[in-house]
Amino acid sequence: MAYIAELIVRGVFLGAVYGLLALPMSLTFVTVGSIDFALGSYAVLAAAVGSTFGGIVGIGAGLGAALAAAAAMAAIFAGLKRVGVDEPITISLASFGLAVAIGSLILWVWGTRAFVLHSYEGVWVMLGIRIGPQSVINLAIGLLLLALVFFLLYRTGLGRMMRAAAINPLGAELSGIPVTALQTGTFVSGGLLGGVAGLLILFSAGLDFTAGLSLTLSGFGAAILFGAHGPIRAFCGGILMGVVEALSAGLASGAVSAMVPLVVVMIVLALGTVGGARFSGDRP
Amino acid sequence: MSLWRARPNTLVLVGCAILAGAVAARDPAWLDIAIAIVINALVALSVGLTFGQAGILSAAQGSFAAIGAYTTAILTLKLGWSPWLALPFAIALPAGLGYGLARLVARLAPLAVALATLTMSAMIEIVLRSWDDLTGGYVGLAGIPTVWSGQPIAFYALAVVVLAMAVLAYENLMLSRFGRGLTTIRADRARAMADGIPVPGLLSAAFALAAAMAGAGGWLYAHYFSYLGPGSLGTELSISVLLMMVVGGARNILGPVAGAVILGVLAQLLPAQEVQGLFYGGALIVILLVARNGLLGLVRREGAL
Repeated sequence: MAYIAELIVRGVFLGAVYGLLALPMSLTFVTVGSIDFALGSYAVLAAAVGSTFGGIVGIGAGLGAALAAAAAMAAIFAGLKRVGVDEPITISLASFGLAVAIGSLILWVWGTRAFVLHSYEGVWVMLGIRIGPQSVINLAIGLLLLALVFFLLYRTGLGRMMRAAAINPLGAELSGIPVTALQTGTFVSGGLLGGVAGLLILFSAGLDFTAGLSLTLSGFGAAILFGAHGPIRAFCGGILMGVVEALSAGLASGAVSAMVPLVVVMIVLALGTVGGARFSGDRP
Repeated sequence: MSLWRARPNTLVLVGCAILAGAVAARDPAWLDIAIAIVINALVALSVGLTFGQAGILSAAQGSFAAIGAYTTAILTLKLGWSPWLALPFAIALPAGLGYGLARLVARLAPLAVALATLTMSAMIEIVLRSWDDLTGGYVGLAGIPTVWSGQPIAFYALAVVVLAMAVLAYENLMLSRFGRGLTTIRADRARAMADGIPVPGLLSAAFALAAAMAGAGGWLYAHYFSYLGPGSLGTELSISVLLMMVVGGARNILGPVAGAVILGVLAQLLPAQEVQGLFYGGALIVILLVARNGLLGLVRREGAL
């Protein structure tokens, strides 16, 4: 029983990182109606750059690199809009291309080695459950950023404009809200949040150049688990995803535990709650 | 003349393939590249069918090819079957799996379907990596028997015949009432439903046909290279063929094939294997920005086909 409890606690801490990835995922999904497949690659890029420099400089450089990559995605998005492409699927396809390019760049520069740094030694024991200090930092940073995003969305004028642009882009445009600029900004924010997530993984379990797409999928799964409505649901989805993954990793084989997040995504997709209402919305 | 009018794509393909074969046959290295390009073209054609006609962005075609390849490898290596006997299974298994997946998600929005295929592909990859007894796990399967004593020129001819049959099937499909149904679905889904077109069923059938093509590509791959590992096909191929489709043009039947040829030749000029993704991903973005309908779309803007 204590083992199960420890797994659940470990899952909550792990889930904070997925929650961080789910935040920008749901923001992009709601405001642009599309998915940034390169999100996981921003995280890997931040971790790769961060591990090279190390320390505070590494954290800054990692975040900068992730932001630069996300800015590239934002520029691609703006460019596609300029030439008249606004189908979500084409934008996703372009982000897929960027994800491949970033993955290849990381392989080229850093090779196949794993990126991992350890910040704190030792563990705390609470009620028979072992907790590493880094996990607590992960959860704290996750909650802090969640609070920030929530505040931004629901307590500021910018957030009101973002929500308006999400609900009715045309109406928002007509009321003088710079919809495209907001959507472009949403892509850039993905770089910041994805980069933080990548750095947190760097200081906990570590990752390598192949992790990009699976991180994107985990973030997406977390974002849709409770429906893509708002940051709190997205973050909770991430926590649940982490708990499920930690439980299956502790109680089943490696292959099964790798499978679990995918099965969750598949079930949620098959239930048709994601974009299902847009079925007849193919008409402009 | 009437055959030219009725099936121009198949004839263009066969003509170009014979010319290319005649040129490539002088140099064994180029013949090897030509065979790889034809196999890629077959898988690219399948992704062109799903995206260009059925509107399903599939990130799983490489995994369907992997299933076809592993099916034939296991049947020939472990059970001693003839490759020809294994061919129907290498085609039917991905097709069945593709049909099931498409039935599950075809009614959803395009983005959700794309993610479902990506998820499916990740799941297939995990199964192939971890089912050691059957797939050889990380080590893979070596010594898969060749067909026709492995003569490269004969194998090139075989691969071209398979590709030509796939193009012919695709072309026939687009000229039939199923093809017209697909075109209606792509243009206006609500209208298609109102017309009584069985939308999910038709999309699933198109997806299954595409998965079958990818499976045939996997069969060719397994029997030409005679080695299969977890990295041979799968996600990397899925991504490359998506790019080939975008470069060549998804709407044109031969667009993905043209993309496979262009990128297959250009990839020979790259300095290192690692930068291939950088080149492919970059090309994908540039083509989307500059020529959304692909290079064939630029050539035939009016779209005779």
